[in-house]
Amino acid sequence: MLEAFAEGLFLVLHWKPFLYMLIGSAIGFWVGILPGIGGATTLALMLPFIYKMTPQEAIPFLLGMHSVVQTTGDITSVLFGIPGEATTVATIIDGHAMAKKGEGGRALGAALMSSLVGALIGAAFLALTIPVVRPLVLTFGSPEMFMVIIVGLTCISSLSGRGRRGLLLGMMTGGFGFLASMVGQDPHGGILRFTFGQLYLWNGLPLIPVVLGLFAIPEIVDLAVRGTAIAGNVPSENLGKGVKEGIKDTFRHFWLTVRCSLIGVGIGVLPGLGGGVSQWVAYAHAVQSAKTLEERSGFGKGDVRGVLGPGAANNSKEGAGLIPTVAFGIPASAGMAILLGGFYLMGIIPGPEMLTKYLPLTFSMVWTIVLANIIVVAVSLLFINRLARLTIIRGNLMMPFILLLTFIGGYTANNSLGDLIVVLISGGVGYLMVRFGWPRPPFILGFILGSLAESYLYTSVLRYGVAWLYRPWVIILFFIALGVALYPFYQERKLRKRMGVGR
Amino acid sequence: MKKPICLLVMSFLFLTTLSSPVEVLAAPYYEGKVLTIIVGLAPGGGYDRMARLLAKHLPKYIPGKPSIVVQNMPGAGGIIAANHFFNLVKPDGFTIHSLTRTVFNFQLVKDEGVKFDARKYSWIGSASSESTVFLIRGDLPYKSFADLLNVKEPIHTGYVGTGGSSDIVIPHILGDYLGLKINLIPYPGGNRDIILAFERKEIDATYLTYSSNKPHIKRGLVRPLVRGRVSAPEIENLPVNEDLVNDKKAKTLMAIISAVDKVGRPYVAPPGTPEDIMKIMREAFRKVAEDPEVKVEAEKMMMEVEYLSAEESLKSVNFVLNQPDDIVKEFIKYSKL
Repeated sequence: MLEAFAEGLFLVLHWKPFLYMLIGSAIGFWVGILPGIGGATTLALMLPFIYKMTPQEAIPFLLGMHSVVQTTGDITSVLFGIPGEATTVATIIDGHAMAKKGEGGRALGAALMSSLVGALIGAAFLALTIPVVRPLVLTFGSPEMFMVIIVGLTCISSLSGRGRRGLLLGMMTGGFGFLASMVGQDPHGGILRFTFGQLYLWNGLPLIPVVLGLFAIPEIVDLAVRGTAIAGNVPSENLGKGVKEGIKDTFRHFWLTVRCSLIGVGIGVLPGLGGGVSQWVAYAHAVQSAKTLEERSGFGKGDVRGVLGPGAANNSKEGAGLIPTVAFGIPASAGMAILLGGFYLMGIIPGPEMLTKYLPLTFSMVWTIVLANIIVVAVSLLFINRLARLTIIRGNLMMPFILLLTFIGGYTANNSLGDLIVVLISGGVGYLMVRFGWPRPPFILGFILGSLAESYLYTSVLRYGVAWLYRPWVIILFFIALGVALYPFYQERKLRKRMGVGR
Repeated sequence: MKKPICLLVMSFLFLTTLSSPVEVLAAPYYEGKVLTIIVGLAPGGGYDRMARLLAKHLPKYIPGKPSIVVQNMPGAGGIIAANHFFNLVKPDGFTIHSLTRTVFNFQLVKDEGVKFDARKYSWIGSASSESTVFLIRGDLPYKSFADLLNVKEPIHTGYVGTGGSSDIVIPHILGDYLGLKINLIPYPGGNRDIILAFERKEIDATYLTYSSNKPHIKRGLVRPLVRGRVSAPEIENLPVNEDLVNDKKAKTLMAIISAVDKVGRPYVAPPGTPEDIMKIMREAFRKVAEDPEVKVEAEKMMMEVEYLSAEESLKSVNFVLNQPDDIVKEFIKYSKL
């Protein structure tokens, strides 16, 4: 086992694989930063280039790209408030808020470092658990997946604002998000819902344009209204030191970062949830780690822990997502599905062989994730000071650029003009939500999980009748969900008591 | 002295123009141009990969060697691209479309979103035929379809599609006509969710494309018991679904599905594209299918490139779409649950 581990490293260190990994990472660097173009689409576009490569060269090429996309996607989210990737939206909430306070450097440092930690933990998990993961993935049938989604949805209670009013608003926007996910054909009989006679809406509202509109447009409007740079009128000397602060923050809150990485791993390993969920659950967990009431309300206004959580989780899910893909040929997300296509192209059939005959190759994947992320984080840190300076450029110079990025991002997702209209409308809705204090994260969570929840519920009932409710894991997950939902209330009572005692 | 030389030069020029090959006149059409293939589904799937494979090798066989790009236009299971291509694209030969074959089913059941007529495209042909098979979970004891006929418990059968696709229609018919308790369960996530459901022993059977599931058949996760009319070397000996039922209507419905399978990867140009451009396209596709390099690459991707001519393709399409009303009604009935 250990020899294979070392052999995996040497496989990546040969000059050709290493070169391809660098090229892949360079591509991934830009794909992550540019909103709209996603890792999955880019993988599909890169596949034709691997025909002439050996597996040892192709894997660092493809994985080198895909595993760094989440790292650099955080950069755009922090600096501009535009999601660089669909999986880096949660980083915007506190990351961009920090940028507006002039702490952009610190947020970037935190995002990058937590991304690295997350990537390493995800890779370690990949290395250690492939042999034992099979029973885990197989225990989770449709009913269990439904309950996992319910647990995810209960995180809404932690993502909402404080107090009863905050919770109510959070539930309402979560409900609206759920409703929005119902647009399109229902998964069972193809009946059209909320399509208003528009063919475009048959597939439902597309995720990237909605997210871009919801988060980017209000930021742009805000920038225009304020008339200042993104970082407001804060003096610029702090930016450089900020990055080191951010890195230190990752280690100051090390266990939080690790726990959020584990959340990313736990959710990322389950095929069928997609990549967008782990960031929110991790963010909710970070919010729950607040020790005082003030800290809790500080989230959303620029608490570095709100950056560490999602930053770590969206990277750790990468390594975890490879597990079912490699161990059974069941891809954990859209990007993994395309990677699987790449494996078949090279004649590699995922399955038990990956753990025996091809074990060094499997470990080379681990090393690729590790090395690619180390390199990209190191390179980014070198440039970060320059990048952070973007937040002190005058707003009216930045705005056209950000606006352009947003709309190009919205268009390139599907080459569809309808998407631009969705960006605009979501932008309007997002602006109103910000104006009236309705929280946006629950909306996105409801939106991502709504139709998934429905289809798993449907499948569970069709397959098992009522019996699915008695399955052991379903009951366990139910209590976990209850716990997650009620935790904020418990937390508030505990904190209030503590404050009372302290008086 | 001048006159004879003049005459010589003139006759020389005259003769050279007479003997110039026809290609010299036709080649410039695609010279330096870009040909776009529109794919109606997201990148990464079977249609997309076939289009990219063709995009790589077709230029050799088109005079002028244009560069070919693939553009994805996903939405409504391929209907959006089919509509766009039918109504909005110029028939100048610079854009062709990888039609998603299930749109024939949508047109047949008179789906409200359909704004095209598949018969009226300028047909290039089909780049392959796709066999579909009834798969049973590997660890179940049924060795042939006959074994299933005595089963009393419900057979949990997974399906992906909506709107008349084979994975609903065929099991539904087999269930009704042969007295099987087929319990259809949706897995909108696609083929991979169905395979996962097999791994979890959540479902017993499904009816899907053979080529996409070859790896899983190889490793014993599933076993094919029945096939459609379109065959492939390894499944030649399986019973054909049409032969399992005696009723004429049921046979016709299954034959319709098999006809759609036959035109597995349809390629079309906009309606009204000039005949000489169509000739170039059809020839190029025919030659690409015979190219040994293409065969090798396709095999690596577990695909097969096999050209079905425009006439044959249209024959199948017409068979599907020219059915009488009572058959269409039956088809609609069996495309629901």
